[in-house]
Order: sequence, then structure tokens, then C-alpha cells
Amino acid sequence: MRTITFSIVLVALFAFSLTLFGQVSAPSPGVGIPLGPLVSGTDFSGSYRWLNHQDAGLFTAAGDIADWGGIPLNDAARLYALSWPASRQTVKQQQCMGYIPPYTWMSPGNHRIWEERDPATQRLVAIHYWGQIAQVDRTIYMDGRPHPPAYAPHTFPGFSTGKFEENILTITTTHIKRGWIRANGVPQSDAATVTEHLIRHGDVVTVFSVVNDPVYLSEPMSKTSLVVRQAIAPDAWLYACDDSEQILGRKNDYVPSHLFGQNPFALEYAEKNKLSLLGAFGGRETIYPEFLGAVKDTAAAEAAAKAKMLPSGPQQNSRAPDPTPNDGNIHVFHVAGSVYLLAGDGANIAVQVGPQGAMVVDTGAGKLSEKVIAEIAKLSSKPIQFIVNTSFHSDHVGGNKKLQAVGADPSLTGSFFSNQFADAGQGATILGQQNVQTRMQEQKPPMEAPPSDTYLEDRRRKYHNEEAVEIFPMPNAITDGDSVVHFRRSDVIVTGDIFTTTQYPFIDLKNGGSLQGEIRALNFILDRTVYRNDEDGGTLIIPGHGRVTNEWEVAEYRDMLVIIRDRVQAMLKNGASLEQVKAARPTADFDPRFGATTGPWTTDAFIEAVYVSLKNPPRSAN
Amino acid sequence: MKRSGLVVLIVLILSIKGHAQGRGGAQGGRPPTPKAAAPFDMTGYWVSIVTEDWRWRMFPNKGDYGGIPLNPEGRRTADAWDPAKDEAAGEQCKSYGAPSIMRVPGRLQITWQDDQTLKIETDAGRQTRLFRFAAEGSKGGDLQGLSRAEWELNGPGLGFAIAGGGVRGGGSLKVMTTNVRPGYLRRNGVPYSANAKLTEYFDLVKETNGDTYLVLTSTVEDPTYLAQPWITAVHFKKQADASGWNPTACVVR
Repeated sequence: MRTITFSIVLVALFAFSLTLFGQVSAPSPGVGIPLGPLVSGTDFSGSYRWLNHQDAGLFTAAGDIADWGGIPLNDAARLYALSWPASRQTVKQQQCMGYIPPYTWMSPGNHRIWEERDPATQRLVAIHYWGQIAQVDRTIYMDGRPHPPAYAPHTFPGFSTGKFEENILTITTTHIKRGWIRANGVPQSDAATVTEHLIRHGDVVTVFSVVNDPVYLSEPMSKTSLVVRQAIAPDAWLYACDDSEQILGRKNDYVPSHLFGQNPFALEYAEKNKLSLLGAFGGRETIYPEFLGAVKDTAAAEAAAKAKMLPSGPQQNSRAPDPTPNDGNIHVFHVAGSVYLLAGDGANIAVQVGPQGAMVVDTGAGKLSEKVIAEIAKLSSKPIQFIVNTSFHSDHVGGNKKLQAVGADPSLTGSFFSNQFADAGQGATILGQQNVQTRMQEQKPPMEAPPSDTYLEDRRRKYHNEEAVEIFPMPNAITDGDSVVHFRRSDVIVTGDIFTTTQYPFIDLKNGGSLQGEIRALNFILDRTVYRNDEDGGTLIIPGHGRVTNEWEVAEYRDMLVIIRDRVQAMLKNGASLEQVKAARPTADFDPRFGATTGPWTTDAFIEAVYVSLKNPPRSAN
Repeated sequence: MKRSGLVVLIVLILSIKGHAQGRGGAQGGRPPTPKAAAPFDMTGYWVSIVTEDWRWRMFPNKGDYGGIPLNPEGRRTADAWDPAKDEAAGEQCKSYGAPSIMRVPGRLQITWQDDQTLKIETDAGRQTRLFRFAAEGSKGGDLQGLSRAEWELNGPGLGFAIAGGGVRGGGSLKVMTTNVRPGYLRRNGVPYSANAKLTEYFDLVKETNGDTYLVLTSTVEDPTYLAQPWITAVHFKKQADASGWNPTACVVR
């Protein structure tokens, strides 16, 4: 009897296992809660080291200057790389630059991969990666969560999601900061997205990656790297990078760079290794077999290569997607502490909330003010108490009137102001540098609701919503009335248009702007920021337009402006006219990221602002 | 009771094996041919994307053996390389043998010669590699040696069998090549010997934009000239047709 029962159990078990094997579709996620796969395709857990059996010359994570063969970089990227000297790394913010995917796989330190499983369900929630060099801390979410919105901050590791495609782990990464395709000057832009496919055979993992970078690549860059599993995990896992003073006495508006066509090391690598210079300079043609035939005419190839050392061809437009949502809605993003970003109505709006009424920095274009008010009401039950204008430009003050009207400033009601003004405390108090008020009133017709509480040269301080808030006037930057606002406890700085992630700075010469003041203002911001580790995290920045950042992007913006300034200055010294400067395309390497050939702020208009600023410096520049 | 548990385990393992036989498996009949069992289709035209080891694959110089873990004898032999001698001896194809041909920039045409043999033809050097799934066939001894192939299919594991869920499947093509005629790992006289053993894994990757890549991870073991196995990877992009197919003779330099 026992034998018969046992046989029945066996048959049932076998049949049950067949049923299970017939179910090859992915497990259904729970309602509202994304679940990762129960069983992974391949377990990659372990500690690894990079295998330098290929690309051995890059083992120190760099490579020689102009060792770019096999990189489908475009002309702008090549110019960027040719103008990059290794001494750029002495600039404070460049010293602890993080590593980005997929370059991080080629870093010479140790790599660790481990799984995170939900203890209750054993579902695979995430796969973690730690890279020793620059302490790259990646989480690859396996639970099907979406990627953050375009206006969210980028980090060096980016935001990664993964899925198993049979035996291959496929990782998709967005929100990556500007980093290196190769750390000898070839940039990977912050518009790049990366796909990595991890394939394991025994102890060897082949990482096949594809970089899509509309800014700096002519076509996707596909590449393999190899890491090999280490039987015994080493002890070295940290990087311990702190930036420091490397060159005493250097001004903070000094950024080492080579002028176009004047990199003294551009030919060295090709000559030393008896290579075609055309090949060493890289480009999409160098990755295909046909390139071997293309350089048979060595004289023609050499001439073609040398021509690539200077800008050529038409001016480029930005190819980076605009992170600003333009769908007629206001999008709210928690930045840090008590500070939120409201995006969607012209310039970015920052809102600080707490036990007192909201403090709002800039009010947008005013086209969606009702929606802005509705979103602020969700964040704070109290009326808006303060509005700060970082600029008089209409996309920053357009909502002043409506937002002021729904606000109230209880700090005035019952004070001596009540004796002077019958409406004291009614409506939010608007603050701004005096020139914001002046410029708004000068317009014909005058702009509505200018700041009534103004300041001139010194910072304004407030202790509001249980944090110190500092408002700093920034003379002659975008205009003569700019301010930046620092929420100190939240550690968020709102920069106005002094910093944007979407275009060259809109230096408004007619209203007191200047390149010198702009660079000075960016350096002022950088003097107030800290990073958490390796240029990630720490003080967060809400730009006038574009996505939330930290100091890295501000430093990159400052570096760009200094480099462009130095190029234009060099041409001015040689007596170049504005038209000659424009024709020389001093912004060529940055145009695919920030340039515009049409619209309200073109590259030509920016170059003109640089030129005029340098030719007729404002008094504040001295 | 212990015996009962053991029997249950055996039944489960048998059931796993039954289910791990791959695509196209003939249930209860003859096993599928390697062609029918292929977890992915490698046939067609492929172009090598030279983004790894660019300098050494495109313009290798004599004595430039960076990355290859040569032993002293390997370095001595590489340093003594005389391309003129190879040309004079009609040995232009020594860097187009199995251990190196897949790193030579060029195009591949992959077809099934028959149900048991996958054929790879290269336009660079006009070489032909035959990956034999069956035991019979060539004994090697030429530049391409003897290549034994097998599909490494991803069957579900035991935990998978018990718990269910998840998606497994797919696999890799594993090729082991021996009996090669001595040649060069690079087009600059870096040697491998007749003792060299080549293990290759081919994997297929599809990007969301439709691009398809063949990723090849290779290990060359050669106690004569290498201090340790030389492990590398290359990749090829699928082409829609034969464009660019340009058969050329072997060249020494």
C-alpha cells in the first residue's frame, strides 16, 4: 500500500514539475509592487579584476594623448580631446572625478558584484556593483522600476536597470554625468545612455557595452572588456580621494587647455608607434576593416588628419535632449531637505517648505501659474510667504503677480509697516536685487509685481522654515541684478540663469551682463559647494533651466566658459574681428551640447557677448 | 524515508535533464541535429568592429606584444620575426590561423555546411573555419586546426525545478580548437605553437535598436610561448547583406 501511495506521489510530482517547466513566461509582478525575477539567469556575484590582455596600453586607465583609434568620436569630441591637457586634472573639481559606465570596467582596481534579494520572497531586487577606483557604487535595479525623470540629477554611475536575457545580464543606464570614453581627453557626454551585456563563462565575464552618445559619437560605440573572477577577495576596495591645492597661487578662473591646433603632443603617439595619424585621431571610419585601405595613401591621410585639428564644417546645434517637461503640466521633484523643484513653466521654480509659509525662488513664465500654485499648496498648507527673483527676465518673474496674490507675509502684519501701508502683509513679499526692480519698472509697459524688498551689494539673510537662507547678489553676470539663493540646511543652491544645463549662458549685455561676472558668479557658487564622494552628491544645484545637478556640472560649465574665453582672448590679442572670431568657431567642441543656430539665444549671440565682454570689460571685472 | 527522498530527487533531476535539451529538441525521438538545436542563428554576414586592441589589430609593429602574456621564449621568437623570410617562404598566412583570424579586421560569412558543421569564411586572408559538432572529420594540422563545437545550453537549475518561475534558455556556442599549424597571434610575428589550444565562446546580443552583435570570448593556451592563458574578446556586427565583402589574400605586413 505504501509503495502504491509513494508511486502516485512520484507521478504527481513529475507531472507537477512538467507543468512548471511549461511556464516559461516571466513571473507576474505583484499588484503595484514590482518584483524581480525569482531565479537569475547567471550569478555574477564575486570579486573581479580587469584583465589587461587586450587594450593593455589603457591599463592605467588613460592611454596616450591622441590614442583614439577605434573610437567613433565625432569632430567635436576630437577637438575637445585635442584641447584637453592632462594638467586639467589639477583643477580642483577635476581631481576626484568619478568613473562612469562602461569605462569603469577598465579601471585597474577591484570590482565586486553581489545580489540583493528580498528576504521574504527571495526575489532579486537588485544587483550591486562596487568599483574600487573612484568608489563607483552602482545599483542595478532588477525589479522593473522606471528610470527617473529627465530633470533628476545625474551621477557618475548613473541610474541602472537590468534584466536577464537568457544567460546574459543586460543593463540599461541613463542619468550619467559627463565622463570619459577614454581618460585621455575623449568625453562621453551627459546625454549618453549605455547598455551593458554581461556574459559569464567560468571565471571570465565579458562585458559587451554599447554607448549611445548623440553629442560626442558619430555612431554607437560597442566594445568588450574582460574581468576575471578572483578566488580570494582582495582587501583593497577604497579610493580615498580628496581634492587639494595642487598649484599654489593659481586663480580660480584658470583652466588648463590647448588652443585649437596648438596641442604640442598631438602627433607624439602616432609617431612613436609608427601609426597613421588619421587612425590615431579616431572617428567612425577607424572602427571598420576598410580603414586599412583608407590610409594607404599616407600623404593624403596625414593631410586629412591635420585638417581635423581645427574646427570645420557648419556650426552644430545641441543634440542633448532638453530635460524640461513641456507638456503643459508642472512637475514636482524633491531635491533635498525642504526644497523642491517645480519644472514646466519656463525657468525652474524652487520651493522651500516648512512650518512657515513657502519661500519660492522665481515664479516661472506665468503661463501655468494656477498649476504652480496648486502644486505648492500640496507641499505647504500655509500661504506663500516669500518670493525671491534671481533675475528680471520674464521667464523668471512671469508668475510674480499670481503667486504674490495667493500669499501672505505674517511677519509684516502688526509690525510698524502696518502703520505705513494698509496692505502690509497682504500677499507674499518679493525680494530681489535692486536692479531687478529697476529693470522691471523700466520696461514698457512696466512688468507686474516687481520686488519690493531689495538689496544692493551685500547678501540678504533669512532664517526661514527652520533653516538659514542666504541670498547673494551676483554683479554683472547674466544681468546686473542676478542673485543666487543658498538653502543651507537642505544644502541646495538655486542659481538662476547663471548656470543652466541647456544652453550657453544668456549673457544680457544690454542689461549689465558680462562674461567676467558670469565666471566670477560660477566660482562663487563653487566656493560654497561640497561633494559627498568623487564629485557626486553633496550640495545640490537647481539651475535656471534644465536638470538638478551638483557642483560637477557647475565646474564643467565654468571650465567651458574659461576655455572659450581664453580662445577668444587669444584671437583678440591678434586683432581678430568679431566676424573672424565667429568664423574660427571657438565653441566648436561644446556646440553639440549647448549650441543653437536658431532661437532666442544662438551660439553666434553668445560668441558676440564673449567678444564684447572681453573687448569692453565691465568695471566690476577689474 | 531517506530512500524516498533520494528517489524524488532523481525524478526531479531526470525531469530537468529532459527539459534542458534545448530548442528543437525531439521529445522521445532522435536528438535534434546541432543545426536544429541552435539556440540562436549565427548565419549571415558579420563585420568586425575594431574597438578593442585597435593599435595591435590595425597596425601591429614588430616587438609590440603588449597584453599578450608571452614567456621568455615567446618574446625571443617575436623579437626575431623576419617578415621578409615569411614572404620568401610563401608563409603569408601565418597570422590568419584559428588563434588569431577572428581578431583580424574583416568580414565573416557564416553558414551551415551541413547539419553537423558550421562554416565560417573570412574575407581577410580567405580563410575557412569548420566547427564540427560530430566526432568525425578532419584531423587538423593546418592553420585552422581541428575545431570541435558544442552548444552550451542553459538548462534550468534544481532550484528552478522545485520553485518554478523565471526564464531560462539560450546558450553559447563553445568551440575547442587543437592540432593547429604554428602561426602568429598578431600580424607581427608573436608566435603560437602546434601545442596551442583555443577555446572560444560565441554569444549573440541584440540591442533594442535592432543591431545584432556576435560576441566572441577566446582563450589561447600555449605552454610553448605563453606564461599563462591569453584571454580576449572581439565582436562583430550583423550585416543585412554581403556589402563590403572583399576577399583579399593574406599579407605579412
